Amino acid sequence: MIELFAALQPVLVGVVLLWSARVKLVGRHAAAAARRSALVPLLGQRRALPAYRLVGGLELVVGALLVLPPVSVPEALAAAGLTIGFLAYLGYARVAAPESSCGCLSAQRAPVTVRALLRAGALFGASLLAAGAGDSWWAALTQRPLAAVALLTAEALLIVALSAELDRFWLVPLRQLRVRLTHPLRGGFGVPLLATVQQLQRSGAYRRVSALLSSDVREHWDEGEWRMVCHAARYQGRPATVVFAVPLRRFAPESVRVAVVDDATGTVLWRLAGADEASRPPSTLTLRTT
Amino acid sequence: MGDTMNRRRLLTAAVLGGAGLVGATALGSVAPEAAFAAEPVAVEPGMPDPNFAEGRITSITGALLLVAGSDGTFHRIQVTDGTSIWKLRPTTFDRVAKGDGLYARGVRLPDGTLAADAVWVNIVNLHAHIAAIGRNVLHLEHKGRRIVAHVVPGTTAAVYNGTPAVSDVSMLRVGRHVQVLGAWHPDTNEIDIATVYAAA
Repeated sequence: MIELFAALQPVLVGVVLLWSARVKLVGRHAAAAARRSALVPLLGQRRALPAYRLVGGLELVVGALLVLPPVSVPEALAAAGLTIGFLAYLGYARVAAPESSCGCLSAQRAPVTVRALLRAGALFGASLLAAGAGDSWWAALTQRPLAAVALLTAEALLIVALSAELDRFWLVPLRQLRVRLTHPLRGGFGVPLLATVQQLQRSGAYRRVSALLSSDVREHWDEGEWRMVCHAARYQGRPATVVFAVPLRRFAPESVRVAVVDDATGTVLWRLAGADEASRPPSTLTLRTT
Repeated sequence: MGDTMNRRRLLTAAVLGGAGLVGATALGSVAPEAAFAAEPVAVEPGMPDPNFAEGRITSITGALLLVAGSDGTFHRIQVTDGTSIWKLRPTTFDRVAKGDGLYARGVRLPDGTLAADAVWVNIVNLHAHIAAIGRNVLHLEHKGRRIVAHVVPGTTAAVYNGTPAVSDVSMLRVGRHVQVLGAWHPDTNEIDIATVYAAA
């Protein structure tokens, strides 16, 4: 069994390297991936892309040599050298540039996580095993096809599971499905304060007094149809409270009312009714103010 | 508590009571436009805004906060009766604790103390991806790190596609980008969500 396992490793490592080389050499977003990778802090902006391509070239050569028979010990050792290089690079990236992307198997943005390190470690182990392979992988595959295919599939699944950049093909849909089935976000009910503040900020009343306001929202409470929102203000040098009445369940910024109340005496210094009342005949207003 | 109720009754009557009376008081009729403080903000280009402070609270004495700024400066911040305090929601001074982070805006007094007009405690603003969703929890991927963001029923608001805020957060999707305004739990990777902005 262990011989079979060892004999299959070259093809696994080879295919992963070829895949990785494809991303780096012919991928449409290779330049962007290189820019986001930890190669930038390591080598500088200008040399990151050439270095990225060079790694891709090395991966192509070693990967092709591994996949194409015959497999020799130097080939497997070259792969082991490459993978331990990746391991060191990922370790560096994790410490020195935690915000960078791995840029390994896909141009998809994927931060360097423990999974990426485990994957590089697994590939390193596989390369070492490949160095000890007696048979060619093709011979092993034809001799025990079922076992060989099962082993390769299991290993490929392990590599996929450890690849954050492939999550969107399986993990994200799985999690979306779970959310769709379990509805874990309960949230709240009622009108959030932000909705009231958004409406308030669109009102003429707010525009009239906004330059007076010194604070953010200080307190708020509901009165039937209305939500009261209070700000601190300075009015002619006196501390005052600006209280707005905002329609709670309808969007009608024109009906927002406002009053400026003296903090010390509690007297109303200034008041503006919403459009509903201001649109009354002017005579009514004149009567009341005189 | 009784004081609060009385005050609220007074303010409610001030804004809802009476008729559409405009600017007539015993002190004369002054529209707010006429009462604008005409003091320009004296901020020199390239210099830090003197009326702003940021940092972690190292001690609270009465209504005076000692704050260690992230750039190494120390601030003394005086909280007054007119200061608004935000900590996930508009709240009161007694909810502010040592170790909290804050942003404060106010007026610098001659002795260097900042008389705060508004204080935002532990406020954070993140652009992130939703990596997973649990029971009233978003697991966010933010610059390579995991952040656990709690939905607080009754407080958390969601804004989808820039439409008015709603309290329904169920339209959030795993894998999508979100912007989250929230309150950090100091020294953890957890936040409470005040507002989450998303495409739906």
